[in-house]
Amino acid sequence: MGAILEIRNLTKSYGSSSPAVDNVTLTVNKGEFLCIIGPSGCGKSTLLRMIGGFVEPTSGDIRLDGQTILKLPPYRRPVNMVFQNYALFPHLTVGQNVTFGLEMRKVNPEERAIRVREVLKAVELSGFESRSVLELSGGQQQRVALARSLVLRPRVLLLDEPLGALDQKVRRKMQIELMRIHREVGITFVHVTHDQEEALAMSDRIAVMSNGRIEQVGDRVEVYTRPSTANVAGFVGESNRFCGILQDGEDNAQSVRISDSLRIPILTSTDVHVGSAVELFVRPEHVAIAPLDETGMAMFDGTVRDVIFLGESARCHVVLEDGTPLMASVTLSSLNASGFANGTRVRLGWPKKASLLFADNAA
Amino acid sequence: MTSIARTDAVAQMGWPPKKLLPGIFILILFLIIPLSLLLMTSFWSASFTGLKAEWTLANYARLFSRPVYVDLLMKSTRIAFVVTTITLVVAFPMALWIANRPPARRMQLMFLILIPFWTSYVVRTYAWIPLLGNNGVINYALMKTGIVTAPLDVFLFSQFTVHVGLLYVYLPYAIIPIALSLERIDKDLIFAAADLGASPRQQLMWIIIPLALPGILGGGIMVFILCIGAYVTPALLGGTSGMMIANVIPDMFGVGMNWPLGSAVSLLLMAITMAWVWLLGSRVGFRSIFIGD
Repeated sequence: MGAILEIRNLTKSYGSSSPAVDNVTLTVNKGEFLCIIGPSGCGKSTLLRMIGGFVEPTSGDIRLDGQTILKLPPYRRPVNMVFQNYALFPHLTVGQNVTFGLEMRKVNPEERAIRVREVLKAVELSGFESRSVLELSGGQQQRVALARSLVLRPRVLLLDEPLGALDQKVRRKMQIELMRIHREVGITFVHVTHDQEEALAMSDRIAVMSNGRIEQVGDRVEVYTRPSTANVAGFVGESNRFCGILQDGEDNAQSVRISDSLRIPILTSTDVHVGSAVELFVRPEHVAIAPLDETGMAMFDGTVRDVIFLGESARCHVVLEDGTPLMASVTLSSLNASGFANGTRVRLGWPKKASLLFADNAA
Repeated sequence: MTSIARTDAVAQMGWPPKKLLPGIFILILFLIIPLSLLLMTSFWSASFTGLKAEWTLANYARLFSRPVYVDLLMKSTRIAFVVTTITLVVAFPMALWIANRPPARRMQLMFLILIPFWTSYVVRTYAWIPLLGNNGVINYALMKTGIVTAPLDVFLFSQFTVHVGLLYVYLPYAIIPIALSLERIDKDLIFAAADLGASPRQQLMWIIIPLALPGILGGGIMVFILCIGAYVTPALLGGTSGMMIANVIPDMFGVGMNWPLGSAVSLLLMAITMAWVWLLGSRVGFRSIFIGD
């Protein structure tokens, strides 16, 4: 897993105001799925557009495979972008949209046809070639945009909030779809989003941006469990947030004084001076709340296919012995304890009373 | 979504749409009735005293049997076609340039384009005479520099002059719709084309021009209609060789005293114009030209 894309001290400033992107250094590894997240206006889209070549950096360097690409116009850069609103060409059909880049690069017609067919199959849009892009649903347009970029086999695929315009349900589906496509094509993905759940669900690594700077880069679990700044802790995942003063207690144990009646005992901190103001974050899943009783269970065996990490919990996509798919929520601690990985054989169950019964009117 | 809103608005008006009645009244009075009269007259006979209400096809027969009318119609169509083509070729780069300025600057430039409309186009057309005439600026310059010894008379009162005059007067009618349709193109579409490997020339060919086509054809249709029926420009600048079809129609109603023939020529001109508009319009659909999206 060597570096494919290196961003060095990249800065973009517009006039006198504070820079949109401020001295960002970031390395993207070959084949990984990197998410850049941060609140809107943090500079993540500008960063992506500089990689694509649509925004000229004020200073710094962007290197692809060890070579600077700063001097290359967008149409010569071996990276491709999926735009926020897809930017599909409205006057062209699905097939024409997908084949556009190949035509511009003068790929011969036979190869063009083969590659278009392959990529449309990969995004599950086979047979849509002659449809107008205006007739498609949001999710389908999204797939066309993806196919249009993937067909060129870019060194790095840039995704600018590609799921932002979709409704929740389609978004979930496209997340899984994107992960599958990433796995199958083996292309490096750099995905920008303001949706931290989406980043936690899909990426290998996460870069958290705030005010034009990168606050933390790391494995998604690491960013979630060990945020390096309060900004990261506040932005990634849900948290209970407390403001208080760090105090020394009896027996050298420290606590944070929130109010007269609330003191939260903590492990001794070496980073913060006693007496200074602190922010304290506690994840909801660490707050245990136990069920009292459990009656009969329905039990099944199956195999884990995908683990979607949602931050406070994970969703396991499991296939039962007979091929029936099933989703199960797992807490982070049981995920850590059991180490569910793809292919793990598991047993699933739920209380009998959890099954809701309805008459099937269609049958 | 816009089409649904539009339909609702129309439905709310009821039928007959009362709010449209003043407009309908004006259309009937000033368009439908005069056109019907024109149509009727074109099938009547002419006499020394004026009109005779005797139905005949003789006017149309005469129109097609006399080469002078057919030739004039062909010439007018050709001039209109050439001027429209040149206008579009000149207007597109200007419109592209304007559409790529920052919004505030764009407004100023559009305003500048509209300034000539503050003066009557008759005056503006006359202004070409001191420029192109025998004692005009161009001949003066050519003679002073010794390029020619005697003034060139090709500049004025020729078909060339008519082309120049029409191009000049109707250029804004092409620039404005093209600039507006270029302005409406989502910048991300052009970025996307570049991203997919299209060079600036390819972006223009495959994305920008096709998406601006409603504006280009809209402007083209406008200029074509104005040119094919042009009266003032050929009358002032054309001389005998630059005469167009619209220049003979007033004579038929005036000194010629042949209203039926004049009506027939008018209607034929209208039919040719409509045929061209329909032909151009059907290429992209009238909807996108006149309504947008």
